[in-house]
Parts: sequence; structure tokens; C-alpha cells
Amino acid sequence: MTQYLAVFLDEVGEQIQKLEEGILALERDHHDREVLHSLFRAAHTIKGSSAAMGFERMSRLTHGMEEVLDRLRKGEASVTVEVVDLLLACLDALKAMKEEVIVHGQEITDPSELIARLERQGCRDVPASAGSLSTPPGRSDQAKGILLNEYERRILRQAALHGVEPYIVTVRVVPGCPMKGVRAFMVTRALEELGEVVGSRPSAEELEKEQFDETFSLIVLSHEDPDRLRNTVASILDIAAVDVAPWKEEVSQDEEGSPTSETRISQEPRGPSRAPEGAQRVNQTVRVDVERLDELMNLVGELVIDRIRLTRINKELAGRFNHDRLIDELMETSRHIGRITNELQAQIMKARMLPIDQLFSRFPRMVRDLARQAGKQVEFLMEGRETELDRTVIEQISDPLIHLLRNAVDHGIETPEERLKAGKPAKGVIRLRASHEENSIVIIVEDDGRGIDLDRVKAKALALGLVSEEQLERMSDQEITELVFLPGFSTAERTSDVSGRGVGMDIVRNNIQAIGGSVRIRTQRGTGTRVILKLPLTLAIMRALLVGVGEGTYALPLGSVQEIIRTRPEEVHFINQQAVILLRQEVLPILSLAGLLGLDGGQLPDGDLLCVVAISGDSKLGLVVDRLIGEQEVVIKSLGSYLGDVPGISGATILGDGRVGLILDVGRLIWMAADSRGRERRADRGIPHRTASLQPSEVVPYRVTEEPGEREEVGYAR
Amino acid sequence: MVSGSDVQQKKEEQLVAFQLDKEIYGVDIAMVHEIIRMQEITRIPRAPSFIEGVINLRGKVIPVLDLRKRFNLPNGQYTDKTRIVVVEIPPHTVGLIVDAVSEVLRLPVEAIEPPSPVIANVDVEYLRGVGKLADRLIILLDLEKVLTKTEKAELAAASV
Repeated sequence: MTQYLAVFLDEVGEQIQKLEEGILALERDHHDREVLHSLFRAAHTIKGSSAAMGFERMSRLTHGMEEVLDRLRKGEASVTVEVVDLLLACLDALKAMKEEVIVHGQEITDPSELIARLERQGCRDVPASAGSLSTPPGRSDQAKGILLNEYERRILRQAALHGVEPYIVTVRVVPGCPMKGVRAFMVTRALEELGEVVGSRPSAEELEKEQFDETFSLIVLSHEDPDRLRNTVASILDIAAVDVAPWKEEVSQDEEGSPTSETRISQEPRGPSRAPEGAQRVNQTVRVDVERLDELMNLVGELVIDRIRLTRINKELAGRFNHDRLIDELMETSRHIGRITNELQAQIMKARMLPIDQLFSRFPRMVRDLARQAGKQVEFLMEGRETELDRTVIEQISDPLIHLLRNAVDHGIETPEERLKAGKPAKGVIRLRASHEENSIVIIVEDDGRGIDLDRVKAKALALGLVSEEQLERMSDQEITELVFLPGFSTAERTSDVSGRGVGMDIVRNNIQAIGGSVRIRTQRGTGTRVILKLPLTLAIMRALLVGVGEGTYALPLGSVQEIIRTRPEEVHFINQQAVILLRQEVLPILSLAGLLGLDGGQLPDGDLLCVVAISGDSKLGLVVDRLIGEQEVVIKSLGSYLGDVPGISGATILGDGRVGLILDVGRLIWMAADSRGRERRADRGIPHRTASLQPSEVVPYRVTEEPGEREEVGYAR
Repeated sequence: MVSGSDVQQKKEEQLVAFQLDKEIYGVDIAMVHEIIRMQEITRIPRAPSFIEGVINLRGKVIPVLDLRKRFNLPNGQYTDKTRIVVVEIPPHTVGLIVDAVSEVLRLPVEAIEPPSPVIANVDVEYLRGVGKLADRLIILLDLEKVLTKTEKAELAAASV
């Protein structure tokens, strides 16, 4: 049954999600009938499928929820804050049970107390003539045929897709038959030889305990024709009658009378449940282990490396033997392999993509709880939940997003009184938006709260000794805002138990930059704050600029390269011993990359300087390198646990010649540069903004060296 | 069969023996993943001195330690006998540069004595014991300590 367990868990997850959304919606509007109906259906679905899978605690709990919800939707009881809290408590228990089923194979959480509370809730404000809650739905009309639960229906639909016929086999044993439990067992076993028994009425357990009168039904999947099934069963001793009926979707309706298929909102392509017969526009899906996808991605990574190596060999050959036909052919073939590898990579990447809703769906509840704790009223809106990105990226942004949302609730949104005083509605709004933007994903966390108090940021930064007064004076508001990203910075005067835990915006920025993303803040006093995260689609592969320093090769993420310039020695000026150049009227500090990495003393080489303008957030730095190697795709590898955190290095990659190249962490490098410079001169005179005598440097148009003809030439400039 | 080898395991240890400076060292064969020839190593900026860098082990990037530097032995030249012993000490996979790999040998447990400072030039902390095989001394390394001892401090100091 394990393959069904996965289906079951999936389904329970879906329904839990629906419950969560529903309960939160119910909290906003106590009278929303639609929500009550959908909650009832979700509880009912879990009840059915968990019972079918033998998870009795889960099914008891959902049964209790269903009873309460049933009374609520019928108007026999009313929704109160208490009820909502109780439902949320049940939801937490359900979530815990689901995890326990995954980890331990069974539920561990004891729902008895919750069930007792649900029952007490059920008894409350019962009208005098309260006789209606006795029969749980689903059992009532067994005579009409079998009511399939959502889980069984799903299996049957799947089976139908694969051409396996679902049948309902109804068996009547002879009256007074001794040991009818054994008969039921024999029937089940006989049918299992011809196909698969996926369910029964009553349940297998009840059958075993002989808790049925004379008839029972089995749900069977089989390739055999109905007669064969019938004859096989009929040949068993003490069987009075057998009925084999093909199962049809439209037969099954839930007690609401509406086809259940309509009530399911699934992220998967729809099965035939919606499409009428004959219209088989069905996307078939296969469940694949995530590890297998990772493995595939690794293999493609290797392929990418080899492809790059092939291109390199090809070029070397072409240099050695001019115009050889074989080399041309090799070139063509390797180019073709390149295209196919690209395509393969894109496809696998697509397969690894998940809707960001996987992550977002946790937030409404979290924001609600936080707002409640903080005594604030918050409306939480989410957009772009279907936006897809790589699983690994989703994992990496979870903590930063949680932090940003906590910040928004704790520090952004004001108390209702404050808001009213400021002429705003008492209820604050927090928006979470995700969208695609070219080759990245943009996530925006936005609140309409009080905004960041720049005066306080300034005071704090001064007090912490992060900046000098003169520096502050020269800073734009935007630059001051970005001070919150400095380590150790937190503007909260009172630290609440949620956001004042020592993790601040610097951690958010570090986490995001570590995966090649960027963070920006826009804020306006009194009207709100917007934090914009820009993220790569995947963490497995990125485009990078390869540069050579000494014997080593380093990769700079293309996202942090603004341009490449060649500077004549006379264009370099020194301000406070810091080498700078003037780039389009802007002073750019330049440093030798080798020096920054501690590979040498940091002297700038003689002669013309090759300088990569690296950018992170609003900061720029000119990195002087020895060689430009080119732009190419690099497969990102970890440096491993042993080396741990290497300052300025975010990872490694395998180069075309098989050697290891290091990937630079530009944000960290800029910070390291500023740190080493700033230590002595922090409160000193800063760098003047403009020096008229300096001449702008020549911009070297930068050519893509890899794969001639496949990509366009690029000159970097933003 | 199984119980037989169990008994055997208790009676003797299987070691990969390698040469470093003037001594023969041994590490538990179970920890040795493979032995490869010296190859081009990519230096890691600001890493502790004994960390030679990283190499590409069939698509996996692993750090490589120079054991001579690790043990403060005189620096030697890399020759064509120089090998990288790739050891796996979960969660780490690390390469160790040694002068030469001599053999795989079995050492009876009773031939192993606790380490004594007199025997080796290497800090006793890194040693698990000293084995006597015929007229030879085999110094048994405590790989876990070799990898982790004091490194934490040094690695932390490096990553300011």
C-alpha cells in the first residue's frame, strides 16, 4: 500500500492547506457559508481517506471537526473566536499527525482532548430539538451503492487513465453463514489474484470482525472482464450472490449532491473528472523522488562541464590546425551537443521547479498569530503564489522571508490606535508578491505601516560607530536606509519575542546574497516599507565571468558585474592611500583582487589595469585582476563542510580543464574591502564625491569568448 | 563467515600505511576512500597554512591537507611518489598529502601500544597508538583529531 500512502499524504496535505485557508477566512468573516461548506468538505475528505488508510486517530479527529462544521454550516451553531481557535488547534494536531505518519508510519499525537472539546462545542447552543447530528454523513445511504471517498476516487481515476477497469464487487453470503469473516477474506484474496482490491465497505477491519450483515462490497481494479470476476467469486463456498458493476465517476456524489470533483482545487493537471468522456486532454503525471531530480541535475552539471571542455579543446585544435574539415565537423557537433545540453538543463530545471506557494502557504497563519500576539490588526495579501522557482531556492529564502514578515508585523504595522490617529484604517495591510522577471524571481514584502525612521537609523548607526557624522551628512536617504543591513543593526527599541532575537537585516541580506540574490529597501515615513528580493531561478548553475589572478581562476556571478574597464596608470589617484578612479563622474575605489583575497600584499600591478566593476546593492568596487577569461556557465559546487565559511568565497566550480575555480562572494568582498579600509579611517575624512580633474576611464567592450555564434556579443553596462 | 571475520577484526587491524618524512604512519583502512596521484590544487584564500587547497575528485570538490605542514614536519618536495590519501570521516571527505603510500598491512591488536612522545615527531594528540610489526614501528593516526584538533580555532581565526 506504500504507493497509496504517498497519494494519501499528498491529499491530506492539500486538504490541510484548504482547512488552514478556510479557517483563516472564517476568522475574517464569521458568516461565510461558502467557507464553511468547503471546510466541511475538507474535513470530510480527510476523514474518509485516513479511515481508508487505517489512520484511526486522524479520522476520529476529523470526524469531530466535521460534526462541528456541519452544525455551523447548517446554522445550528454560530462561529465564535473560540470555535476558530479550536479548529486551528485541531489543524495543528492534524499537521503533527501527518508529519508523524511520514516519520513513524503512524500517528502519535493523541487527539482525545481535542475531540472532547469538539464534542463539547457540538453540544453547545443546541436547539431543543437536537436530534440531527446523529448520523455521520457518508454512511446513511449505503443501500444506493458505494460512496467512495476522495482518496479512493482518485486512485480509481488514475487507474482508469491507465486502462485498468475499476469495479465494485458486491457479494452476499448465504444467510446464517458461519464464519462470514473468513468468506470475506477468501473473496478478497480471490479477487487480489485477478487484480487489486483498493477498498471495501465496510472496512477491511470490520469485515474481519464480521461486522456486516450479509453483504459487503469491494472496490477492485482489474484487467479481467467482469464475468471472470463474478465466476471466481461465485465459486467460493457459501456465497449467495455476486454483483460486479463497473465503477463510473458520475455515480459518486457526495452528500451535498454536487459532484465532488468540482470541489477539489488541485494543482495537478485535472484528471478525467472534469473532462467529459472522450475528451482525453489529460496530462499524465509521474511522481519522482526529489533526490532523483537532484541526481539528474548533477549529471547535467557534469555534462555542462564537459561541454565547456569540448569547446575549449575544439578551439585549441582549431588554433593548431587551420581549416581542417574534421575540426569544423567537431565544432558543429560540439555546438549541437551544447544546444542539447542547454535544452536538457532547462527541462530538468523546469522539473525541479515548485510553485512558491509551497512556502507562501505557511505564512497566513504565521502572520495571523504574530499580529494577534502584537495586538495588531493585519490584512495579509499574497500574489503570485503560482510563481515557480527551484526547490533549493525556496529552501534558502524561507528564513529571510519569515524574518521580513515578522519585521513587517512587529515594526512596520502600527497598533490600531496609532493608525487611527494617523488617519489610516485600523487594519494594516501586508502584501507578499512573487513574480518572474527575466531570469530571476522578484519577491516583494510590503507593508503600509510607519516606515523606517531615518533619524533613528542615523542615531543608531552613530551610536554603534558604524558611520561618522560627516559621512551621514553626505548620504542620501536611500543610503541611510541601507544602513539597516549592517551587521548588528536593529532599530527595534523594544525587542519582541519574535523579531528581536539577534538576527537582523544583515542576516537577511547575507542569506539572499549567498544564493546570488539581492535585497533592496524602499521606505517612506508614515506610509510604509517595501523590501524587494531578487533571486536566481536556480542555485545549481549560474552565468559567471571568469577572471585570472596569479595562477588561480575565479568566477564572478554575472549579476554582480557591472562592467569591465581598462585603466591607464595615470588615471589612478590616491585618496587617503586608497586607489580610486573616476568612472563616469563617479569615484570608484579600486583594489587588487589578489590583495583582497590575501594572496599577496595588495600592490596594484604596473602598467594598464584590468578592472572588473563589481556591484552589490548600492556599493561598487573596482577589482583589479590579471586576466579576463570569459563568460560562461558554471556549475556551483559547495566547498564542503570541512572548510566551512571562507570569507569572500561562496563556492567552487569545475573549470573546463578539470581544475577547481572559486566563486567569489561579491557582497562579502565589498564588505571586506570597506572594512579593511574603514577600520583606520572610519571617523576620518571620507572620499569626496567629485574630483573634476579626473578623466573617465575607457570602457572596454567585453566579448563573449565561449561558443562563438551562439550568443551575442555583450558589452556590459547598466 | 560473518562471525569469523568479526573475531578477526578484534584480533587485528587493517591499515593503509604511508610514508611521511622519516616515519611510517597507518590509518584505518575503513576510513580510506581511495588513493590518488598528486594533482593540481586550487589554493583557498585565507585558509590555514596546512590546508593546501581543493581538488576536483570526479566532479566533487574536496579540501586537501598537507600532512607535513599539519604536523610541522620539514617541508618536502612533491615527487611522483607523492599521493593524496582520500579519507572519509563523516561528514567530511578530505585528501591528505603524503610522501608515498607503501602498503596495506594487518597489525595484531596486541602489537599496538599507547603513543609515547619519544617515538614520533608528531604531537601525541594526533596519535592513536604505535604498532610494532617485525622490526618496524607504525604510527597509528587518530584521523578525527588530525582533522579537527585546534583546527576549529585556526579556521575560525582565518574567517574573520
